[in-house]
Amino acid sequence: MRLGPQPRELIDRSQRVLFTFDGRAAGGYTGDTIGSALYASGQRVFSRSFKYHRPRGLLCCSGHCPNCLMTVDSVPNVRVCVEPIRAGAVVEPQNVWGSLDRDALAVTDKIGGPFTPVGFYYRTMIRPRFMWPLYEKVLRNLAGLGKVDERHHGHSRYDVEHRRARVLVVGGGQSGRAAALAAATRGPGVVLVDEGMRLRGAELEGVEVLAPARALGIWEGGLVPVDAGGVLYRFRAERIVVATGALEQPLVFPGNDLVGVMLPDGVRRLIRDFAIRPASRAVVLASDDDALEVADELREAGVAVPRVVDLRTAPLGRIEAKGRRGRVSAAVLDGRAVECDLVVASAGRQPSYSLLAQAGARVEYEPSRGIFVPAELPAGFEALGAVTGEGCATVHPLRSSGARNGDKSFVCVCEDVTTKDVDRAIAEGFDSIELSKRYTTVTMGPCQGKLCQLASIRLYARTTGVSEATVGTTTARPPWAPVELGLLAGPHHEPARRSSIHFRHEEAGATIQWAGPWKRPYAYGEHPEDEVRAVHESLGVIDVSTLGKILVEGPQAVELLERLYPNRFGDMKPGRIRYGVITSDGGRIMDDGTIARLADDLFYVTTTSTGADAVTAWFEWWNAVWGYDAEIVNVTGALAAVNLAGPRAREALSRLVDDPDDVAGDAFRYLDAKELDVAGVPCLALRIGFVGELGYELHFASPAGEHLWDRLVAEGAWPFGLEPQRVLRLEKAHIIVGQDTDSESNLLSAGMSWLPKLEKDDFVGKLAVEHVARREEVERLVGFTMEEDVVPAEGAQVVIEGRPGGRVTSARRSEAVGAVIGLAWLPPERCEDGTRFEIRVDRRTVGARVRHGAFYDASGARMRA
Amino acid sequence: MTELRFLSPSQCAEGSTASPLRRALDGAPEQVRDLSLQGVLELRGDIARVEAGEGEELVRLSPRRGFLFTPGDPFEAVARVRAAGVLAYDSTGALAGLALEGEQLMRRLTDLELTKLPAAGPFARVSALVLRDEGERFRVYVPQELGHDVALAVLDALAGLELAP
Repeated sequence: MRLGPQPRELIDRSQRVLFTFDGRAAGGYTGDTIGSALYASGQRVFSRSFKYHRPRGLLCCSGHCPNCLMTVDSVPNVRVCVEPIRAGAVVEPQNVWGSLDRDALAVTDKIGGPFTPVGFYYRTMIRPRFMWPLYEKVLRNLAGLGKVDERHHGHSRYDVEHRRARVLVVGGGQSGRAAALAAATRGPGVVLVDEGMRLRGAELEGVEVLAPARALGIWEGGLVPVDAGGVLYRFRAERIVVATGALEQPLVFPGNDLVGVMLPDGVRRLIRDFAIRPASRAVVLASDDDALEVADELREAGVAVPRVVDLRTAPLGRIEAKGRRGRVSAAVLDGRAVECDLVVASAGRQPSYSLLAQAGARVEYEPSRGIFVPAELPAGFEALGAVTGEGCATVHPLRSSGARNGDKSFVCVCEDVTTKDVDRAIAEGFDSIELSKRYTTVTMGPCQGKLCQLASIRLYARTTGVSEATVGTTTARPPWAPVELGLLAGPHHEPARRSSIHFRHEEAGATIQWAGPWKRPYAYGEHPEDEVRAVHESLGVIDVSTLGKILVEGPQAVELLERLYPNRFGDMKPGRIRYGVITSDGGRIMDDGTIARLADDLFYVTTTSTGADAVTAWFEWWNAVWGYDAEIVNVTGALAAVNLAGPRAREALSRLVDDPDDVAGDAFRYLDAKELDVAGVPCLALRIGFVGELGYELHFASPAGEHLWDRLVAEGAWPFGLEPQRVLRLEKAHIIVGQDTDSESNLLSAGMSWLPKLEKDDFVGKLAVEHVARREEVERLVGFTMEEDVVPAEGAQVVIEGRPGGRVTSARRSEAVGAVIGLAWLPPERCEDGTRFEIRVDRRTVGARVRHGAFYDASGARMRA
Repeated sequence: MTELRFLSPSQCAEGSTASPLRRALDGAPEQVRDLSLQGVLELRGDIARVEAGEGEELVRLSPRRGFLFTPGDPFEAVARVRAAGVLAYDSTGALAGLALEGEQLMRRLTDLELTKLPAAGPFARVSALVLRDEGERFRVYVPQELGHDVALAVLDALAGLELAP
């Protein structure tokens, strides 16, 4: 029921707002929260509890407790007591089977208690092991919070904004506002963050006010993320003032979670902010003057208050709330029942110190006032007001000592942890508050200890007979306030690397796939074999801009490369190319590519598509270690590259260069590097043949990518993608580092014993290569052909005499070879040409035979043509 | 001795080059401009020996590394800088460049301290070089292969600020 106009009410009674609650129409006023509108309309049960499915009503009305969690517009776990009302919102209860008033799972409260003690799932749901997925599914449905609607995508956008402030004040109470205004007199850059609705749009001279907004925590370096709804502000400030005030603490007594048991501030908000009469008959159990004043406010609002108890002066030995259908019907105070439909109860106020603790402040217990207070603040931080303990004190919150009967006494309403649960945990040996936290999950629920930490510490102290100071607090961790995961994730940006030719591939209808950090064409049609055939019979072109490209220049460039690679480069003439493999200190294959000598002191190195950054860093690291006079410049992005391959490659290229003689067979031999202008674009042309046909890799300035691609296609080159390239390179038995090799592969086992020049004084991994050469070989990479027309999966198991004997790394069907071919790691004794072995394919074994050398054009005549 | 012409877009035939951002920025609002084909040199060596010419801007990343932004032909600038004993490489094709306006827009995209630019750091989840011009005008350079996505992120951030459709 609404009261008459209140002096500071937030609602605008002239503006009615309609929304949907649990499938039916509901309404309120502008300025209402969803929670206040529902309460005003008579709704009292707002949620069902986590484990026992007990009915829960408004408790704090400040967004701290879990009692009003609902799903709003498909977003779960919205605290409707602080969620502003909005027209057309769809509000649904969560964690119920049935309705809020009739939840079928409430049976767990009636009969499940003895069977569901704290930690029961740790003990009872671990056997049989195979049943755990089922147990998990059941538990997740029976207990918990709301569900993410996977069909719902982006009800709103999420943004992140990086902010700097001279002074950041967290908390907009009296102390916070005063601190902000004082700071503003000394200059600009003052920001005040407050979670309440009263400061929304407030004007404090010289102060930027963010409200309602929540500081989520304080990270290393003073990073303070602030949740302001759709924007996450990531603040860094020269000075951070924490004025987060104090939190009312619930009393712990049988029935303390019944609908109608509320904290004084919650009641005050209903009356002052939303002009709601919260009940008809109330009992007030106060532990400070603020709470006592609520009794007066209730009376002014027309609520009968038959009993007010000041727990500081008239301590009660036993308090119990009695209820009907989960709602308070009476308060029993030391055995005397007082009929009521509202129990306003508080144990006092505890400083809200968590942000300071996260920042590194020490927290100590003050026994005289029964509170924990922050001490020894780190540099750059200041605490003001109630968060320092000013005006705070608590009475002992436990009011059910010795009770053997009656309703449950909840220490933690978030996780449905009772006093009995904590006692049991202690009895089972969880005698540290941190261990108990993990076992009972007390303080681990949505309130993150705001309402249960003090009570659990004091219960621990009482039960174990040690002081609260000895028990200590649990670690304060962010987020201090609940936050949508979408806000933490930020905008949906996943940067992909695209070559400068990329959109030509899309326009040609290519299937695009991720290839490491790149987006690349898989194939241009449904039949990659057509693209393979085009390369073998005519002319193909593939975008290889993703290859790593590094310039190594300087008087000692050759010395650097000689020590980085196992093979030689000092004897290379400018204009020649050599294949190179980089090995680690342990002799393992790291990356491969080609090295072209462009001048005496200048080399052009290519790497795998995913290896550019790592190889650059590797080069730079060793160059710094050895101190050579050489510069390493990663030009991967600066250059696009295409591979023009096929019997018609020379003919096509000759039509695009100024002088066709430049690309004649004798003038441009296999493994030559040459600078050519192709279709008006200066290129570094490399005559190499990864795909096994006459081929030219053209490297040129990225901005000319589309132009040159278009010209090559116009010359009849058939675009081919990654999949045809894999077939073509496999026909030549060319390996792909990282696919055919792994972190244990070395040059000798991978069939490249010809590559390392052990007579060199030194190279990275030389000792390891020498060691491998001396020891017995473990496995070897070889080619194979399948006996049947089936393609084994990459990674398929090799079977030798019925036992696992190796693995397949690559396999494809080759039209040119007329068989399924592949590469596999086999035991050395099984690597003779023609040796038969078996491979697991679709739950059966299929025969295969070892094949040495290339499967196609074994002499290499085609690519050397 | 090679002149590394193949690195230089300016050496390509007229009309044969294109910006990596032209698709993303087609119809973009005026707060965003494409700088991608403006000349940039990557410098290695004793940067102190480099004298910036008229209209050029030298950005030092370290005593031995830097960028030279040039309004002229970067290929010619490379020759000039090399003649001064500093290694230079035409990086025009390596970088996508954006001119942006608005501090709040920048704050949505980078955590770099905007009063302490130029600096290298993250921008729209990509490594970037960020420079500040007059007032609230900024220049951002990112690897060209990531430029398209960065440009889309910029437009999205503008939309979040209700400055773009």
